[in-house]
Order: sequence, then structure tokens, then C-alpha cells
Amino acid sequence: MRTFLDMGGYAAYVWPAYVVTLAIVVLNIVWARRALSRSRAEALRRQGVRGEGA
Amino acid sequence: MTWTWFHRLGSPPYVYALAARLTPWFAWPAALLIVSGLYGGLVLAPPDYQQGDGFRIIYVHAPSAWMSLMVYTIMALAAAIGLIWRIKVAHAVAASCAPIGASFTFAALVTGALWGEPMWGTYWEWDPRLTSELILLFLYLGYMGLRAAVEDTQRADRASAVLAVVGVVNVPIIHYSVTWWNSLHQAPSVMRLGKPQMPASMLLPLLLMLLGFTLFFGAVLLVRLRGEVLDRERSASWVRQALHV
Repeated sequence: MRTFLDMGGYAAYVWPAYVVTLAIVVLNIVWARRALSRSRAEALRRQGVRGEGA
Repeated sequence: MTWTWFHRLGSPPYVYALAARLTPWFAWPAALLIVSGLYGGLVLAPPDYQQGDGFRIIYVHAPSAWMSLMVYTIMALAAAIGLIWRIKVAHAVAASCAPIGASFTFAALVTGALWGEPMWGTYWEWDPRLTSELILLFLYLGYMGLRAAVEDTQRADRASAVLAVVGVVNVPIIHYSVTWWNSLHQAPSVMRLGKPQMPASMLLPLLLMLLGFTLFFGAVLLVRLRGEVLDRERSASWVRQALHV
């Protein structure tokens, strides 16, 4: 396990590279979901306004 | 052959429902491929004879760089289709691509810097490959900035589409930069004619990661696409039904 974490002396480069990339992957999921629920809320609001006006 | 399926792809309610249905078919295989790619790349693949374990950065760097180029190409294609045939859904696809592409371009640059320092002795060099990739990030950010600056969605769609289409010249420049100019960056070792220059135990995890990231892009794109379609169809009557009001 220690040798695995050490990455042959390249730990300081390998692990940050993996952390950054996987963080981008996770953030993409979070951002996309947030964008969809924002659009959904906005569409619902518009539909609601239209419904009341009609 | 009938073209109805193709025409339906221009219909917002159809695309909205289709995107929701298709998302898990991209997301789960992507998760499986990425997890097995990570295991193969970090554990099973042998250390490189020159770079030792440092070469393992390839398993996150190359897929990120691949995403940066593939997503831009799809964005530019969708933007062009939107411009030429005035298809709303195509513009929605282009708009959905940008944040995904920008984030992976950033990842490609950061992981590249982290690879460059131990192997080349520098995090950054104004090298053709690195510089053109940085320009790609600015193209994405410019596209997003332009969209954010134009209030009206239709005008934003058209203006940003022109930028996306013009910027696509950068894609072949990035790809061929290592062949055209003297670059610190190595030449392609997977996407080349003939045999890849890697043993199977190193190559397979890389292919899993590349495919996994590509499917991941599909899943995220489909989620974003639903939002972008809704933004363009807010007051349409089908939206009420689709949102179960």
C-alpha cells in the first residue's frame, strides 16, 4: 500500500492529477443537475404565471 | 428509409423525453468503464521503463485532452447545424457542450502541467501544443461569456454559434501541433496509423478511460440538453405536461 501511494516517487504529481480530473468529473455531474433544476424551476414559474393570467 | 427519426430530433418535446430516457444508458456504462480504467491504469499496468509510475498521469490526461477536442468539435458541428437550418435543438446541444468542454480543457492543462514538471522540468512552456490548448480554453470561455452577455436566447444562440464555428480551426492545429512544429509534447501514441506504441496492459486501461469519458460526456450532455431545451421552450404547452404540472 505504501509503495502504491508513493507512485515510485511521483506521488506529488500523479495524485494531484487524478484528484483534479476526478473532481472535474464530479463537478460536471453537480453543475449539470443544478443547471437542469434551475431551468425546470424557471419553466415552472413561467408556466404558472401563464396559467394564472389565462 | 424514412427520415422521420431525423426530423423528430429537431422537435423539442421529443428530444426532451428522449434525453431523459437515454441518460442512464450513458451514465452507468461510463461509471463502469472509468472505474475499471482507473484500476487498470493505477494498479494493473506496469510502470513505464523511462517514466516509472509518473506515466500513469496519461490515464487522466489523455482522456481529458480527448474530451477537450471532441466536445469542441461536436459543439461547432451543432452550432453550424443550428445556424444553417435554424434548429433550436442544435443550438441547445452546442450550448450544453461548452461548460463540459471548458472543464475538461482545464483538466487537460492542469494534468499536463503536473506531468511536465517531473518529465520536462517545467510546468509550463509556450510550446505549440500547450499554447493551442490554452487558446481552446479561451475559446470555450469566450463562447460562454458571449452567451451570458446576450440576454435574448435566440440572439445568443446565433452570435455564439458563429464564434464556435470560427474557432474550430484550432482543433486540427492542436492535434497536428506536435507533428507540424518542434514540440516538447510527445507525438500521438494511440491515435496514429498502424500499431499503438504501448503494450496491451498499458493500452487497455487507456482505451477504457477514453470510452468511459466519452460516454460520460454523453450523459452530462443529455442532462444539460434538457435544461437548455426548457430554456428555449418555457412557455410552450408541452412543457406543462413534461414537468407534470
